[in-house]
Amino acid sequence: MQSIEFPLVLFTVLSQAAIGIALMGAVRVAAGPDGGDAKRQWRMVAGLMVLGLIGSLFHLGHPLDAPDALKHLSTAWLSREVLFAGLFVGLAILAALIADKNGSAILSGAGALLGLAVILSTGMTYAPPAFPAVNNALPTVFFLVSAVTLGAGFASWFAGPGRQPLLARIFTSALIVGLVVNLVAPCVWLSGGEVMRMTGLAWFGSSLYWAHIAVMAASLAVIWKTRTIPMWLPILVLFGELVGRAGFFADTIHTAANMGGLY
Amino acid sequence: MKKQYACLVDSERCIGCFTCAMACRNYYHQEEGVVWREVYPLDEEIYPHRERAFFSLSCNHCEDPACLNVCPVQAYTKREKDGVVVHDQEKCIGCGNCIRSCPYGAPRYNPVEKRAEKCSLCHERLDADLQPACTQACPTGALSLVDLAAMEQTSQVQYPAGYPKMTQLNPSTRFILPKVPKMVRR
Repeated sequence: MQSIEFPLVLFTVLSQAAIGIALMGAVRVAAGPDGGDAKRQWRMVAGLMVLGLIGSLFHLGHPLDAPDALKHLSTAWLSREVLFAGLFVGLAILAALIADKNGSAILSGAGALLGLAVILSTGMTYAPPAFPAVNNALPTVFFLVSAVTLGAGFASWFAGPGRQPLLARIFTSALIVGLVVNLVAPCVWLSGGEVMRMTGLAWFGSSLYWAHIAVMAASLAVIWKTRTIPMWLPILVLFGELVGRAGFFADTIHTAANMGGLY
Repeated sequence: MKKQYACLVDSERCIGCFTCAMACRNYYHQEEGVVWREVYPLDEEIYPHRERAFFSLSCNHCEDPACLNVCPVQAYTKREKDGVVVHDQEKCIGCGNCIRSCPYGAPRYNPVEKRAEKCSLCHERLDADLQPACTQACPTGALSLVDLAAMEQTSQVQYPAGYPKMTQLNPSTRFILPKVPKMVRR
Protein backbone atom coordinates (compact mmCIF):
# COMPACT_ATOMS: atom_id res chain seq x y z
CA MET A 1 0.00 0.00 0.00
CA GLN A 2 3.12 2.07 -0.59
CA SER A 3 3.66 3.72 2.81
CA ILE A 4 4.10 2.32 6.30
CA GLU A 5 0.91 4.02 7.59
CA PHE A 6 2.19 4.01 11.18
CA PRO A 7 -1.14 5.06 12.79
CA LEU A 8 -2.90 2.16 11.04
CA VAL A 9 -0.12 -0.23 12.05
CA LEU A 10 -0.57 0.87 15.65
CA PHE A 11 -4.38 0.63 15.54
CA THR A 12 -4.62 -2.73 13.81
CA VAL A 13 -1.95 -4.49 15.89
CA LEU A 14 -2.97 -3.07 19.29
CA SER A 15 -6.67 -3.69 18.64
CA GLN A 16 -5.90 -7.24 17.54
CA ALA A 17 -3.82 -7.81 20.68
CA ALA A 18 -6.78 -6.57 22.75
CA ILE A 19 -9.24 -8.76 20.84
CA GLY A 20 -6.93 -11.76 21.17
CA ILE A 21 -6.77 -11.29 24.95
CA ALA A 22 -10.59 -11.07 25.04
CA LEU A 23 -10.83 -14.26 22.97
CA MET A 24 -8.48 -16.06 25.37
CA GLY A 25 -10.54 -14.68 28.26
CA ALA A 26 -13.61 -16.36 26.75
CA VAL A 27 -11.69 -19.61 26.41
CA ARG A 28 -10.56 -19.42 30.04
CA VAL A 29 -14.05 -18.62 31.37
CA ALA A 30 -15.47 -21.49 29.32
CA ALA A 31 -12.85 -23.84 30.81
CA GLY A 32 -13.76 -22.82 34.39
CA PRO A 33 -12.06 -20.77 37.16
CA ASP A 34 -8.26 -20.96 36.99
CA GLY A 35 -7.09 -18.59 39.72
CA GLY A 36 -6.27 -15.89 37.18
CA ASP A 37 -7.33 -12.24 37.27
CA ALA A 38 -10.01 -11.41 34.66
CA LYS A 39 -10.43 -7.82 35.92
CA ARG A 40 -6.78 -6.91 35.28
CA GLN A 41 -7.04 -8.66 31.93
CA TRP A 42 -10.04 -6.52 30.90
CA ARG A 43 -8.09 -3.42 31.99
CA MET A 44 -5.34 -4.36 29.59
CA VAL A 45 -7.87 -5.03 26.79
CA ALA A 46 -9.45 -1.59 27.35
CA GLY A 47 -6.04 0.11 27.58
CA LEU A 48 -4.76 -1.44 24.35
CA MET A 49 -7.98 -0.58 22.49
CA VAL A 50 -7.96 3.02 23.69
CA LEU A 51 -4.28 3.36 22.69
CA GLY A 52 -5.03 1.84 19.27
CA LEU A 53 -8.04 4.07 18.67
CA ILE A 54 -6.07 7.19 19.64
CA GLY A 55 -3.30 6.03 17.28
CA SER A 56 -5.80 5.54 14.45
CA LEU A 57 -6.93 9.17 14.66
CA PHE A 58 -3.50 10.28 13.45
CA HIS A 59 -4.09 8.81 9.99
CA LEU A 60 -7.13 11.05 9.48
CA GLY A 61 -6.72 14.42 7.84
CA HIS A 62 -9.47 15.72 10.12
CA PRO A 63 -9.51 13.65 13.34
CA LEU A 64 -12.22 15.73 15.00
CA ASP A 65 -14.66 14.58 12.33
CA ALA A 66 -13.96 10.90 13.08
CA PRO A 67 -17.52 10.22 14.39
CA ASP A 68 -18.79 10.98 10.85
CA ALA A 69 -17.17 7.69 9.81
CA LEU A 70 -20.27 5.89 11.12
CA LYS A 71 -22.44 7.33 8.35
CA HIS A 72 -22.07 4.65 5.68
CA LEU A 73 -22.77 1.36 7.43
CA SER A 74 -24.72 0.06 4.41
CA THR A 75 -21.66 -0.56 2.20
CA ALA A 76 -18.46 0.77 3.84
CA TRP A 77 -16.55 -1.81 5.88
CA LEU A 78 -14.62 1.07 7.46
CA SER A 79 -17.88 2.40 8.95
CA ARG A 80 -18.65 -1.08 10.29
CA GLU A 81 -15.12 -1.34 11.68
CA VAL A 82 -15.55 1.95 13.53
CA LEU A 83 -18.92 0.80 14.90
CA PHE A 84 -17.68 -2.60 16.10
CA ALA A 85 -14.42 -1.17 17.49
CA GLY A 86 -16.44 1.46 19.38
CA LEU A 87 -18.77 -1.18 20.82
CA PHE A 88 -15.82 -3.43 21.72
CA VAL A 89 -13.92 -0.68 23.57
CA GLY A 90 -17.13 0.31 25.37
CA LEU A 91 -17.65 -3.29 26.48
CA ALA A 92 -14.00 -3.60 27.54
CA ILE A 93 -14.22 -0.45 29.70
CA LEU A 94 -17.48 -1.69 31.24
CA ALA A 95 -15.95 -5.10 31.94
CA ALA A 96 -12.83 -3.49 33.44
CA LEU A 97 -15.12 -1.65 35.85
CA ILE A 98 -17.61 -4.36 36.84
CA ALA A 99 -15.97 -7.75 36.23
CA ASP A 100 -14.58 -9.74 39.15
CA LYS A 101 -11.42 -11.86 39.21
CA ASN A 102 -13.15 -14.94 37.75
CA GLY A 103 -14.70 -13.03 34.88
CA SER A 104 -18.21 -13.21 33.48
CA ALA A 105 -19.38 -15.61 30.80
CA ILE A 106 -21.69 -12.96 29.29
CA LEU A 107 -19.03 -10.27 29.10
CA SER A 108 -16.44 -12.73 27.76
CA GLY A 109 -18.80 -14.11 25.13
CA ALA A 110 -19.95 -10.66 24.01
CA GLY A 111 -16.31 -9.47 23.93
CA ALA A 112 -15.26 -12.45 21.80
CA LEU A 113 -18.13 -11.93 19.33
CA LEU A 114 -17.57 -8.19 19.01
CA GLY A 115 -13.82 -8.76 18.70
CA LEU A 116 -14.35 -11.20 15.83
CA ALA A 117 -16.65 -8.64 14.16
CA VAL A 118 -13.87 -6.02 14.44
CA ILE A 119 -11.36 -8.43 12.88
CA LEU A 120 -13.70 -9.29 10.01
CA SER A 121 -14.51 -5.64 9.28
CA THR A 122 -10.84 -4.63 9.51
CA GLY A 123 -9.93 -7.50 7.21
CA MET A 124 -12.54 -6.45 4.65
CA THR A 125 -11.47 -2.79 4.87
CA TYR A 126 -7.95 -3.77 3.83
CA ALA A 127 -9.06 -6.14 1.05
CA PRO A 128 -10.03 -3.64 -1.68
CA PRO A 129 -9.96 -4.46 -5.42
CA ALA A 130 -6.99 -2.11 -5.84
CA PHE A 131 -4.72 -4.67 -4.14
CA PRO A 132 -5.24 -7.95 -6.01
CA ALA A 133 -2.89 -9.87 -3.70
CA VAL A 134 -5.06 -9.15 -0.66
CA ASN A 135 -8.44 -8.67 -2.37
CA ASN A 136 -9.61 -11.85 -0.64
CA ALA A 137 -9.81 -13.40 2.83
CA LEU A 138 -6.06 -13.10 3.49
CA PRO A 139 -6.16 -9.83 5.49
CA THR A 140 -8.79 -11.34 7.79
CA VAL A 141 -6.65 -14.47 8.18
CA PHE A 142 -3.50 -12.41 8.87
CA PHE A 143 -5.36 -10.32 11.45
CA LEU A 144 -7.01 -13.30 13.14
CA VAL A 145 -3.67 -15.11 13.45
CA SER A 146 -2.08 -11.95 14.90
CA ALA A 147 -4.94 -11.62 17.39
CA VAL A 148 -4.70 -15.24 18.58
CA THR A 149 -0.89 -15.16 18.83
CA LEU A 150 -0.76 -11.87 20.73
CA GLY A 151 -3.86 -12.75 22.77
CA ALA A 152 -2.48 -16.09 23.96
CA GLY A 153 0.86 -14.45 24.73
CA PHE A 154 -0.51 -11.56 26.78
CA ALA A 155 -3.30 -13.64 28.38
CA SER A 156 -0.55 -15.78 29.96
CA TRP A 157 0.24 -12.76 32.17
CA PHE A 158 -3.18 -13.00 33.79
CA ALA A 159 -3.95 -16.75 33.74
CA GLY A 160 -3.43 -19.11 36.67
CA PRO A 161 -0.84 -21.91 36.47
CA GLY A 162 -3.50 -24.44 35.46
CA ARG A 163 -4.24 -22.63 32.20
CA GLN A 164 -0.64 -21.91 31.18
CA PRO A 165 -0.16 -25.16 29.17
CA LEU A 166 -3.41 -24.48 27.25
CA LEU A 167 -2.33 -20.93 26.39
CA ALA A 168 1.14 -22.17 25.40
CA ARG A 169 -0.44 -24.70 23.02
CA ILE A 170 -2.69 -22.02 21.46
CA PHE A 171 0.28 -19.63 21.20
CA THR A 172 2.45 -22.28 19.52
CA SER A 173 -0.29 -23.33 17.08
CA ALA A 174 -1.00 -19.70 16.12
CA LEU A 175 2.72 -19.06 15.54
CA ILE A 176 2.98 -22.11 13.28
CA VAL A 177 -0.13 -21.08 11.31
CA GLY A 178 1.19 -17.52 11.07
CA LEU A 179 4.57 -18.67 9.79
CA VAL A 180 3.00 -20.98 7.20
CA VAL A 181 0.49 -18.38 5.95
CA ASN A 182 3.12 -15.64 5.78
CA LEU A 183 5.56 -17.87 3.89
CA VAL A 184 3.03 -19.44 1.54
CA ALA A 185 1.02 -16.34 0.56
CA PRO A 186 3.84 -14.51 -1.29
CA CYS A 187 4.82 -17.80 -3.00
CA VAL A 188 1.26 -18.10 -4.35
CA TRP A 189 1.31 -14.47 -5.48
CA LEU A 190 4.41 -15.17 -7.60
CA SER A 191 2.27 -17.32 -9.86
CA GLY A 192 -0.58 -14.81 -10.06
CA GLY A 193 -1.20 -11.77 -12.25
CA GLU A 194 1.41 -9.06 -12.70
CA VAL A 195 0.45 -6.92 -9.69
CA MET A 196 0.22 -10.00 -7.45
CA ARG A 197 3.65 -11.10 -8.69
CA MET A 198 5.03 -7.61 -7.99
CA THR A 199 3.57 -7.83 -4.46
CA GLY A 200 5.16 -11.25 -3.90
CA LEU A 201 8.54 -9.93 -5.04
CA ALA A 202 8.14 -6.79 -2.90
CA TRP A 203 7.36 -8.87 0.20
CA PHE A 204 10.29 -11.24 -0.41
CA GLY A 205 12.58 -8.25 -0.93
CA SER A 206 11.37 -6.48 2.20
CA SER A 207 13.40 -6.33 5.42
CA LEU A 208 10.13 -5.71 7.31
CA TYR A 209 8.72 -9.01 6.00
CA TRP A 210 11.84 -11.01 6.93
CA ALA A 211 12.08 -9.35 10.36
CA HIS A 212 8.48 -10.47 11.04
CA ILE A 213 9.29 -14.02 9.89
CA ALA A 214 12.47 -14.05 12.01
CA VAL A 215 10.59 -12.93 15.14
CA MET A 216 7.91 -15.60 14.61
CA ALA A 217 10.58 -18.30 14.06
CA ALA A 218 12.58 -17.16 17.11
CA SER A 219 9.43 -17.10 19.27
CA LEU A 220 8.59 -20.61 18.11
CA ALA A 221 12.09 -21.77 19.03
CA VAL A 222 11.76 -20.21 22.51
CA ILE A 223 8.37 -21.79 23.23
CA TRP A 224 9.66 -25.13 21.92
CA LYS A 225 12.51 -24.91 24.44
CA THR A 226 10.65 -23.50 27.46
CA ARG A 227 7.22 -25.17 26.94
CA THR A 228 5.61 -22.18 28.72
CA ILE A 229 5.30 -18.57 27.62
CA PRO A 230 8.06 -16.46 29.25
CA MET A 231 6.89 -12.99 30.45
CA TRP A 232 8.99 -11.18 27.85
CA LEU A 233 7.97 -13.27 24.83
CA PRO A 234 4.65 -11.48 24.08
CA ILE A 235 6.57 -8.18 23.91
CA LEU A 236 8.87 -9.66 21.27
CA VAL A 237 5.89 -11.04 19.33
CA LEU A 238 4.19 -7.62 19.53
CA PHE A 239 7.32 -6.03 18.04
CA GLY A 240 7.28 -8.64 15.25
CA GLU A 241 3.62 -8.01 14.48
CA LEU A 242 4.17 -4.23 14.35
CA VAL A 243 7.05 -4.69 11.91
CA GLY A 244 5.11 -7.24 9.84
CA ARG A 245 2.06 -4.96 9.66
CA ALA A 246 4.25 -2.08 8.51
CA GLY A 247 5.39 -4.40 5.71
CA PHE A 248 1.77 -5.31 4.90
CA PHE A 249 0.98 -1.64 4.32
CA ALA A 250 4.26 -0.65 2.66
CA ASP A 251 4.95 -3.60 0.38
CA THR A 252 1.52 -4.55 -1.03
CA ILE A 253 1.33 -3.17 -4.56
CA HIS A 254 -1.56 -1.08 -5.88
CA THR A 255 -2.92 -1.84 -9.38
CA ALA A 256 -2.41 1.79 -10.43
CA ALA A 257 1.35 1.26 -10.00
CA ASN A 258 1.37 -0.72 -13.26
CA MET A 259 -0.94 1.39 -15.42
CA GLY A 260 0.10 1.04 -19.07
CA GLY A 261 1.78 -2.32 -18.35
CA LEU A 262 0.51 -5.89 -18.54
CA TYR A 263 -1.88 -7.04 -15.82
CA MET B 1 -29.38 2.17 -20.18
CA LYS B 2 -29.37 5.45 -18.25
CA LYS B 3 -27.30 8.37 -19.45
CA GLN B 4 -23.67 7.81 -18.51
CA TYR B 5 -21.05 10.34 -19.47
CA ALA B 6 -17.64 8.86 -20.12
CA CYS B 7 -14.29 9.64 -21.75
CA LEU B 8 -13.48 7.98 -25.06
CA VAL B 9 -9.69 7.61 -25.34
CA ASP B 10 -8.56 7.18 -28.94
CA SER B 11 -4.99 5.91 -28.60
CA GLU B 12 -4.51 5.95 -32.36
CA ARG B 13 -4.89 9.73 -32.29
CA CYS B 14 -3.19 10.44 -28.93
CA ILE B 15 0.32 11.87 -29.36
CA GLY B 16 1.13 12.01 -25.63
CA CYS B 17 1.30 15.80 -25.53
CA PHE B 18 -0.18 16.06 -22.00
CA THR B 19 -2.42 18.97 -23.09
CA CYS B 20 -5.39 17.24 -21.38
CA ALA B 21 -3.50 16.96 -18.10
CA MET B 22 -2.30 20.56 -18.37
CA ALA B 23 -5.82 21.82 -19.14
CA CYS B 24 -7.09 20.06 -16.01
CA ARG B 25 -4.30 21.64 -14.01
CA ASN B 26 -4.89 25.10 -15.48
CA TYR B 27 -8.59 24.88 -14.71
CA TYR B 28 -8.45 23.57 -11.13
CA HIS B 29 -4.97 24.64 -9.94
CA GLN B 30 -4.45 21.51 -7.88
CA GLU B 31 -1.75 21.48 -5.21
CA GLU B 32 1.72 20.46 -6.31
CA GLY B 33 1.90 16.69 -6.72
CA VAL B 34 -1.88 16.25 -6.91
CA VAL B 35 -2.79 15.01 -10.39
CA TRP B 36 -6.33 14.23 -11.53
CA ARG B 37 -5.51 13.30 -15.12
CA GLU B 38 -2.42 11.30 -16.10
CA VAL B 39 -1.07 10.30 -19.50
CA TYR B 40 0.38 6.78 -19.31
CA PRO B 41 2.66 5.45 -22.06
CA LEU B 42 1.91 1.83 -23.00
CA ASP B 43 4.71 -0.61 -22.16
CA GLU B 44 6.72 -2.02 -25.03
CA GLU B 45 5.37 -5.48 -24.14
CA ILE B 46 1.93 -4.19 -25.20
CA TYR B 47 2.90 -1.87 -28.03
CA PRO B 48 6.33 -2.97 -29.33
CA HIS B 49 7.01 -0.23 -31.84
CA ARG B 50 9.32 2.75 -32.12
CA GLU B 51 6.23 4.98 -32.11
CA ARG B 52 4.67 5.23 -28.69
CA ALA B 53 1.02 4.92 -27.68
CA PHE B 54 -0.70 6.45 -24.67
CA PHE B 55 -3.74 6.23 -22.41
CA SER B 56 -4.99 9.51 -20.99
CA LEU B 57 -6.78 8.56 -17.78
CA SER B 58 -8.56 10.15 -14.85
CA CYS B 59 -11.60 9.02 -12.84
CA ASN B 60 -13.60 6.41 -14.77
CA HIS B 61 -16.97 7.33 -13.20
CA CYS B 62 -17.67 3.62 -12.66
CA GLU B 63 -21.16 2.16 -12.59
CA ASP B 64 -20.45 0.69 -9.13
CA PRO B 65 -17.63 2.90 -7.84
CA ALA B 66 -15.25 1.50 -5.20
CA CYS B 67 -14.64 5.01 -3.85
CA LEU B 68 -18.35 5.58 -3.22
CA ASN B 69 -18.87 2.17 -1.64
CA VAL B 70 -15.95 2.36 0.79
CA CYS B 71 -16.24 6.03 1.82
CA PRO B 72 -17.29 5.98 5.49
CA VAL B 73 -18.68 9.53 5.44
CA GLN B 74 -20.66 9.37 2.17
CA ALA B 75 -18.55 12.07 0.55
CA TYR B 76 -19.10 10.51 -2.89
CA THR B 77 -22.30 10.60 -4.92
CA LYS B 78 -23.12 9.31 -8.39
CA ARG B 79 -25.29 11.82 -10.24
CA GLU B 80 -28.57 10.30 -11.44
CA LYS B 81 -28.77 12.53 -14.49
CA ASP B 82 -25.41 11.66 -16.09
CA GLY B 83 -23.60 9.05 -13.97
CA VAL B 84 -20.76 11.38 -12.99
CA VAL B 85 -19.16 10.44 -9.65
CA VAL B 86 -18.66 13.60 -7.59
CA HIS B 87 -16.58 13.96 -4.43
CA ASP B 88 -17.76 16.47 -1.81
CA GLN B 89 -14.52 17.60 -0.20
CA GLU B 90 -16.34 19.34 2.67
CA LYS B 91 -17.59 15.96 3.92
CA CYS B 92 -14.22 14.18 3.52
CA ILE B 93 -12.29 13.41 6.73
CA GLY B 94 -9.11 12.39 4.89
CA CYS B 95 -9.11 8.70 5.88
CA GLY B 96 -7.57 7.66 2.55
CA ASN B 97 -9.90 4.68 2.16
CA CYS B 98 -11.00 5.73 -1.35
CA ILE B 99 -7.35 6.23 -2.38
CA ARG B 100 -6.49 2.71 -1.20
CA SER B 101 -9.59 1.20 -2.80
CA CYS B 102 -9.81 2.65 -6.32
CA PRO B 103 -7.88 0.26 -8.62
CA TYR B 104 -7.35 3.09 -11.11
CA GLY B 105 -5.72 5.44 -8.61
CA ALA B 106 -8.21 8.24 -9.36
CA PRO B 107 -8.70 9.78 -5.89
CA ARG B 108 -5.59 11.60 -4.68
CA TYR B 109 -4.60 13.00 -1.31
CA ASN B 110 -4.38 16.77 -1.05
CA PRO B 111 -1.69 17.35 1.61
CA VAL B 112 -2.74 20.96 2.16
CA GLU B 113 -6.48 20.35 2.59
CA LYS B 114 -5.74 16.96 4.21
CA ARG B 115 -8.63 15.48 2.23
CA ALA B 116 -9.01 13.34 -0.89
CA GLU B 117 -10.00 14.80 -4.24
CA LYS B 118 -10.49 13.60 -7.80
CA CYS B 119 -11.76 14.42 -11.28
CA SER B 120 -15.48 15.18 -11.32
CA LEU B 121 -15.62 15.36 -15.15
CA CYS B 122 -16.01 19.15 -14.75
CA HIS B 123 -19.64 18.57 -13.75
CA GLU B 124 -20.19 22.28 -13.27
CA ARG B 125 -19.14 22.80 -16.91
CA LEU B 126 -21.38 19.93 -18.03
CA ASP B 127 -24.29 21.62 -16.27
CA ALA B 128 -23.54 24.73 -18.30
CA ASP B 129 -23.49 22.69 -21.55
CA LEU B 130 -19.71 23.03 -21.80
CA GLN B 131 -17.12 20.33 -22.45
CA PRO B 132 -14.79 19.19 -19.63
CA ALA B 133 -11.49 21.10 -19.70
CA CYS B 134 -9.51 18.04 -20.81
CA THR B 135 -11.67 17.01 -23.78
CA GLN B 136 -12.03 20.62 -24.91
CA ALA B 137 -8.26 21.11 -24.90
CA CYS B 138 -7.21 17.91 -26.73
CA PRO B 139 -5.60 19.13 -29.98
CA THR B 140 -5.96 15.85 -31.89
CA GLY B 141 -9.48 14.84 -30.87
CA ALA B 142 -8.05 11.81 -29.08
CA LEU B 143 -10.01 12.52 -25.91
CA SER B 144 -13.73 13.07 -26.20
CA LEU B 145 -16.82 13.07 -24.02
CA VAL B 146 -19.40 10.43 -24.89
CA ASP B 147 -22.71 9.22 -23.47
CA LEU B 148 -22.48 5.43 -23.22
CA ALA B 149 -26.27 5.15 -23.54
CA ALA B 150 -26.22 6.89 -26.90
CA MET B 151 -22.80 5.88 -28.25
CA GLU B 152 -22.76 3.61 -31.27
CA GLN B 153 -20.83 0.45 -30.43
CA THR B 154 -18.10 0.03 -33.03
CA SER B 155 -14.46 -0.55 -32.26
CA GLN B 156 -14.34 0.74 -28.70
CA VAL B 157 -13.07 -1.58 -25.98
CA GLN B 158 -13.57 -1.37 -22.24
CA TYR B 159 -10.55 -3.30 -21.00
CA PRO B 160 -7.52 -2.91 -23.24
CA ALA B 161 -4.11 -4.31 -22.23
CA GLY B 162 -2.47 -1.85 -19.86
CA TYR B 163 -5.68 -1.09 -17.99
CA PRO B 164 -6.94 -3.08 -14.98
CA LYS B 165 -9.98 -5.26 -15.68
CA MET B 166 -12.46 -4.61 -12.87
CA THR B 167 -15.81 -5.97 -14.06
CA GLN B 168 -17.51 -5.45 -10.68
CA LEU B 169 -16.82 -1.71 -10.85
CA ASN B 170 -17.72 -1.45 -14.56
CA PRO B 171 -15.62 1.63 -15.39
CA SER B 172 -17.18 3.90 -18.02
CA THR B 173 -14.01 4.89 -19.94
CA ARG B 174 -13.79 3.41 -23.44
CA PHE B 175 -10.74 3.02 -25.65
CA ILE B 176 -9.90 2.86 -29.33
CA LEU B 177 -6.73 0.83 -29.65
CA PRO B 178 -3.65 2.13 -31.49
CA LYS B 179 -3.02 0.57 -34.89
CA VAL B 180 0.24 -1.11 -35.79
CA PRO B 181 2.38 1.60 -37.41
CA LYS B 182 3.13 1.29 -41.12
CA MET B 183 6.72 0.06 -41.63
CA VAL B 184 8.57 1.63 -44.56
CA ARG B 185 11.74 -0.25 -45.57
CA ARG B 186 14.30 1.05 -48.07
